[in-house]
Amino acid sequence: MQLKNYLDFRLLGIIGGSFLILSEFLAWFSGNTLLDLFILYLSLEIEFSFLYLFPIISGIICVFGAILILYNEEYRINTVIINFIGLGFFLIFLFELIPREFPYVVNAEVGFYFAIAGGILIFFDIINILLSREKE
Amino acid sequence: MRRKIIKIIGDNDYSSFTILKKELKVSTGTIYHHLESLSQLIEQKEDKKYYLNDLGIHAYNSLQDNIETYITREFSKKEFNSPILKGLMLITPKRFITANKFNYLQVVIISCGIIILGAILSYLNELFPLFLYFGDFYLNVMGLSSVITNLLPLFFVLNYLVYYLIIEGLCRLFYRKRENALKFFLSFSFIFLPMQLYLALHYLFLITNSLELAIISIIDNVVLIILQVWALWIQTYSLSVYKYIKIENSLIISLLVHYGAFSLVLLISI
Repeated sequence: MQLKNYLDFRLLGIIGGSFLILSEFLAWFSGNTLLDLFILYLSLEIEFSFLYLFPIISGIICVFGAILILYNEEYRINTVIINFIGLGFFLIFLFELIPREFPYVVNAEVGFYFAIAGGILIFFDIINILLSREKE
Repeated sequence: MRRKIIKIIGDNDYSSFTILKKELKVSTGTIYHHLESLSQLIEQKEDKKYYLNDLGIHAYNSLQDNIETYITREFSKKEFNSPILKGLMLITPKRFITANKFNYLQVVIISCGIIILGAILSYLNELFPLFLYFGDFYLNVMGLSSVITNLLPLFFVLNYLVYYLIIEGLCRLFYRKRENALKFFLSFSFIFLPMQLYLALHYLFLITNSLELAIISIIDNVVLIILQVWALWIQTYSLSVYKYIKIENSLIISLLVHYGAFSLVLLISI
């Protein structure tokens, strides 16, 4: 039984993107989801409130990129560029969030781990697309 | 034979069948066969003459630069004509990123301008440069913020040099490519061009105190992401042109350096 007969590694992008979207609705810190935090900070008119929407934006963009390559394999470079943009949102989010919430990261809940796993899967998806292209 | 056909049409902007036959000195059937194979690059217009289409012009320029590997079999016409790549190619300073028709004086002058402008903007924004990232990390290390701020222009130049050395090193390590090192170095500053735009916009937001508004803050971040992708594309394109590396391989180097830098930024921030 060959694993690759049953697994399509191009699905990494869709799974990774879905994880990122899901993480928006899962608890991150003290039982609060990112959506809760977004609504809370928005009501307090804090300037970085929109930052808490970045994982879901990132997930949607990456899922779109993954669907594009599933729809047509010719659009590989396009998919990579779309994933660059998508992952860019997630990285900016981490870059802004981690230093601010660092003391709480050790107590992070399932949403945080979902988002990290999603980001890593998308990274591997990009590598997979670029390497599989070379093999051909 | 096909390269010759593209070159004949490209050199003269167009070509008739008679000229092709005269230049190539092969049978009519052979020429028709090759023209049919090149149908993605060449089109015959109403005057019955053969012209290069957009992809053909790109292939011609690539051949001029000896980067026939640039247009790979997989890098199809459909993908090339997609809005994203078409848009990116449109805003790529191709005139200055070329291996054959390299104008040293012009490139050096523009590169110096980009570096000086970048150094000034980095100082004005008080943002520390780390590859394609700009942040206020490092500034408060050991209470040396004023010293570090004054040295920001120097850090910008150092960042340019270190970034170049890492990319050049990776090319040599992974793909054994040593070609055009000087040309690549001189035009490397074009990769920072999008980031200058970001720094200029960020400074505008800074002096107007508009970064305190949520909507401006998100625009600032989104612009940074888009301009970083543009910079990465210029880097990828430059690698293809100067090092004769396929686009996908250039993207792997860009990906490794960019996300490697991000990990470093994250560690420093913590």
